[in-house]
Amino acid sequence: MSEQFEPVVIGFLCNWCAYAGGDLAGVSRLQYPPNMRAVRVMCSGMVHPELVMHAFRRGADGVIVMG
Amino acid sequence: MIEFRVGQLAKLLGVHRNTVTNWIRSGRLQARSTVGRKYLVEGPEFQRFCRDQGISTAVAAELSRAAPHAVMKPIIRQPIKREVYMSEKAIGSVMVVGGGIAGIQATLDLADSGYFVYLVEKSAGIGGVMAQLDKTFPTNDCAM
Amino acid sequence: MNVELLTLSEVESVSGDAGNFTVNIKKKPRYIDMNKCIACGLCAEKCPRKVDDEFNMGVSKRKAAHIKYGQAVPLKYAIDGDHCIYLNRGKCRACEKFCPTGAVNFEDREETVPVHVGAVILAPGFKPFDPAGLDFYAYTQIPDVVTSLEYERLLSASGPCMGHLVRPSDGREPRKIAWLQCVGSRSTNRCDNGYCSSVCCMYAIKQSLVTAEHTTGDGLEQSIFYMDIRSHGKEFERYYETAKASEIRFVRARPHTIYPGRENTGASMRYTTEAGETLVEDFDMVVLSVGMEPPEDARRLAEKFGIALDHYGFAKTNSFAPVTSNRPGIFVTGSFQAPKAIPRSVAEASSAAAEAAAALIQARGTLTHEKSYPRERDIVAEEPRIGVFVCSCGINIAGVVDVKAVVDDAKTLDHVVYVENNLFTCSADTQDLIAQKIGEHGLNRIVVAACTPRTHEPLFQDTLKEAGLNPYMMEMANIRNQNAWVHQGQPDKATEKAKVQVRMAVAKVSKNYPLYRDTVAVQQKALVIGGGLAGMSAALGLADQEYETILLEKSDRLGGNAWHLTATDRGRAVRPVLEAMIDRVENHPRIKVLQNAALESAVGSVGNFVSKIRVDGESRAVTYGVAVVATGARESRPDEYLYGQDDRIMTHLEFDAHLNEGDGIAAGMSSAVFIQCVGSRDDRRPYCSRVCCTHSVKSAIRLKEANSRMNVYILNRDIRTYGEREDLFRKARDLGVIFIRYSADQKPEVSRDGDGLCVSVFDPISRFPLRIEADAVVLAAAIEPNDTHELVELYKCSANADGFLNEAHPKLRPVEMPVEGLFVAGMCNYPKPIDESVGMAKAAAAKAGVILAKKEMQLDAIKSYITEKCDGCALCLDVCPYRALQLEEYPGEDGRSHQRIVTDKALCKGCGLCEATCPKGGIYVHGFTMEQLKDQVSAALAVL
Repeated sequence: MSEQFEPVVIGFLCNWCAYAGGDLAGVSRLQYPPNMRAVRVMCSGMVHPELVMHAFRRGADGVIVMG
Repeated sequence: MIEFRVGQLAKLLGVHRNTVTNWIRSGRLQARSTVGRKYLVEGPEFQRFCRDQGISTAVAAELSRAAPHAVMKPIIRQPIKREVYMSEKAIGSVMVVGGGIAGIQATLDLADSGYFVYLVEKSAGIGGVMAQLDKTFPTNDCAM
Repeated sequence: MNVELLTLSEVESVSGDAGNFTVNIKKKPRYIDMNKCIACGLCAEKCPRKVDDEFNMGVSKRKAAHIKYGQAVPLKYAIDGDHCIYLNRGKCRACEKFCPTGAVNFEDREETVPVHVGAVILAPGFKPFDPAGLDFYAYTQIPDVVTSLEYERLLSASGPCMGHLVRPSDGREPRKIAWLQCVGSRSTNRCDNGYCSSVCCMYAIKQSLVTAEHTTGDGLEQSIFYMDIRSHGKEFERYYETAKASEIRFVRARPHTIYPGRENTGASMRYTTEAGETLVEDFDMVVLSVGMEPPEDARRLAEKFGIALDHYGFAKTNSFAPVTSNRPGIFVTGSFQAPKAIPRSVAEASSAAAEAAAALIQARGTLTHEKSYPRERDIVAEEPRIGVFVCSCGINIAGVVDVKAVVDDAKTLDHVVYVENNLFTCSADTQDLIAQKIGEHGLNRIVVAACTPRTHEPLFQDTLKEAGLNPYMMEMANIRNQNAWVHQGQPDKATEKAKVQVRMAVAKVSKNYPLYRDTVAVQQKALVIGGGLAGMSAALGLADQEYETILLEKSDRLGGNAWHLTATDRGRAVRPVLEAMIDRVENHPRIKVLQNAALESAVGSVGNFVSKIRVDGESRAVTYGVAVVATGARESRPDEYLYGQDDRIMTHLEFDAHLNEGDGIAAGMSSAVFIQCVGSRDDRRPYCSRVCCTHSVKSAIRLKEANSRMNVYILNRDIRTYGEREDLFRKARDLGVIFIRYSADQKPEVSRDGDGLCVSVFDPISRFPLRIEADAVVLAAAIEPNDTHELVELYKCSANADGFLNEAHPKLRPVEMPVEGLFVAGMCNYPKPIDESVGMAKAAAAKAGVILAKKEMQLDAIKSYITEKCDGCALCLDVCPYRALQLEEYPGEDGRSHQRIVTDKALCKGCGLCEATCPKGGIYVHGFTMEQLKDQVSAALAVL
């Protein structure tokens, strides 16, 4: 492999806490790796198992549900 | 929507042009700047402003009746004398002094029940001491 | 929209009267144009001047150009004129040079503006006590002696050490920490703050529990040095018990001197235990639990407004009107009225709002306004035509992300017909531009790649509405907060991520469809359940706002417990006020009183409730939009200390009635013993009843004043005379009332000795058992809630383990119940004295008034909805936390009856637990359907 492995992680972020936390990380300029793709949801409880499977089927290396 | 130049409005209301500029800059008159040094203001916003500033309602109504986006024509030749809003009826606005959790709560409740609120805070932002707290008892919730 | 925020402003002078005040406001210059500032922070970054950050209590530094904190409102920078180098020495202007929007304006000048208002609410808050004057605490000399507010910032994740606690002297994690209670409170020695600040016990416990979470490893030793632990609020006693169980040491002692530790790190403390032992102990850190003081400018503010302050400098009010100042039209609230914690501040702020609203009722709605929009374009039949607007945010985004590359990538996407890069997409002129492009290119969907939807979505939704599009036809790609700002060192990867973020937003918006906010008609009537002081205050609060109110009382007379109370904690007789209040309630044209009434049923939701009420055996139906529950509590009947076996052993209320029978009764007694916590703070009722300490102290004072030679004892576990009630405690001690401490495992004993009564108790100070002969034993019986089981069932609301009705949020929504449209007031929520009951009731009236103020209520559009795939399996029913789903029967095409779910839109909050539970796609949430979310995920992974 010529390139270093770069995982792609799908993140489901609760609008009221995790997504707000993500925004605050920005305001505070906290640096983190750019590998997560955030999907905003109204509550982490909204994430259907099928949605998680869908992400893996499409090639996601990881799924993180935050809320 | 009313479109005006600073000088025009100043003349109409009988005030100095700097006063008008100050109104706009402070946000008391919520006007947006457009091309050619002109400003735009919403009709109802303009009426609210006139009431607050003690400009008689007749004049305010006449001014805001101007056609949408039309340049405001001087409607009244004589400069208007500013008079303090004196009415038998109570004024439908409330001032809240202090932008801590108590002041914010009172402001939101009043604004939601039909009153215009001026929230006066001595520092540059609201939030008070609660914003400084890490967690709150007895649930250890974040204070933010 | 109907609020004008005047920051950096102070009241200069006041003229006029209630209903028509003119207040002159002095506005200090901000030197930054709020309309232009985009809070990018460049001015602060470039500003060379560092000053102590007062938000972090001076623990860290900020610049002269600054914001108070990351989530400040308004999120606009300000230049501190006292410290700015240019403003003081005439050179620098670095911020002006770097500001990308030209927002810096050094020409800004102080100005005074007149504001006309009908009423004023004063909420200037408190000042934390400054311990620098108390030299024996050596606060200014020892770096590791900090105030509790400084400690709060040290603990905070947004504070100077990002939540990893270290001590100031050497930056190491402290292992052994002490808290000193009552610094600047309950002391008339070196400061004149004789009152209790009410909150310090609880915050010290909180800080110790949170510290345990923030530190790593073993060996953490935490000690709280106290006089009385005052955990007198709802769930507070359990919190205290948790702390005791978490090995936090509670030491009853008031250390008098703090000495520096070795090399001035840490501190050493000398203190004397209750047993009389004097000890010296070393600590890594000492936290001074500083109390609250009236704000510095309270006196000037009071003079300007012509309102009275009490002897401590807090605003003077009376127990039946806790937010009303002595001047009509001026209301006071928050910790300016008395030291108090957040929930009471929040509740009483609402009650101040209710009082102001009632005073200006004729003028309601005269100065508020609503915006109007053009007719919405029907786009349902159109193919998606998407416009993408990529924001540079000055250099905030463009400095990291290659926005041109993002624009080019967006152009290649399906359905995208127009892409543009803006310097600031949020600026007013760009809004006009977006509206113009929507018209020009026939766009029907918009993607804004900029900052966070949490702050800016409403702005762009408004732009869509102004351009005749449904506001839900847009999505945002958060390429600032969640990209450029957090990947500053990796521009290439950040650009790739930004492209994907835009792709995801485009994928989602393609599947967006118009959403509409449903409205429900509001029955502009209120029901108040319970006719005690709280219920009556709520009913009057509502009726004074001109809403029809039904007041339901289960007994045959209004007034409840208040009939048995003699005087308020501030010494005002209860009976005359009570009678006047009942008279007002019964004769109020908008209040209908139903006595001997019981609630039989309740259906519906906020805005539209229907109940059957049984009155004198007859059932009748009432409709209402909101309900205030004030079912109250009662004094419990003790089952210990020989209660019921001797007439001389009485509860508080019985003893009060006995004293009220005749003036000479106290004069005939030579000894009385009060026993505290009878049935409270034990296994059965693990809560503090809040009112009994003050009640005993008041009764003891009454006895001593009637007969100074009488021996009066109060046997207690902690004396909890919080706030300015501490004055009563001090007065009782001055009058010679004897306070003896007992512990829960060594309770006093009451016995009969022939004709006499005798109380035995172990005195921890002399370490001797005492035998006290008593003419009367008064038991401070616990307050227990009236039965609320039925009510909880009917409204599907909730009560805590002790039977007290729950509020929606203990801090921020103290009078709202978890079921929307229901409010709680008075002792059914928790035991409380008159002023707090009335305050809470008025707050409930204010909150209820917010709902009743509108004929129609707008609901959010993000709600669950049923698809044709729902087969009524009802799996989602149980997971719905808002009980918004129900089964319904409907006739199918085959002529048979089928079942499916229906959503009650008034109850649904759009959380989507149902969507995640349903195995067959039978229920989705608008704007977050499985298809939309899947498309977003697919777009995120398509590039792989």
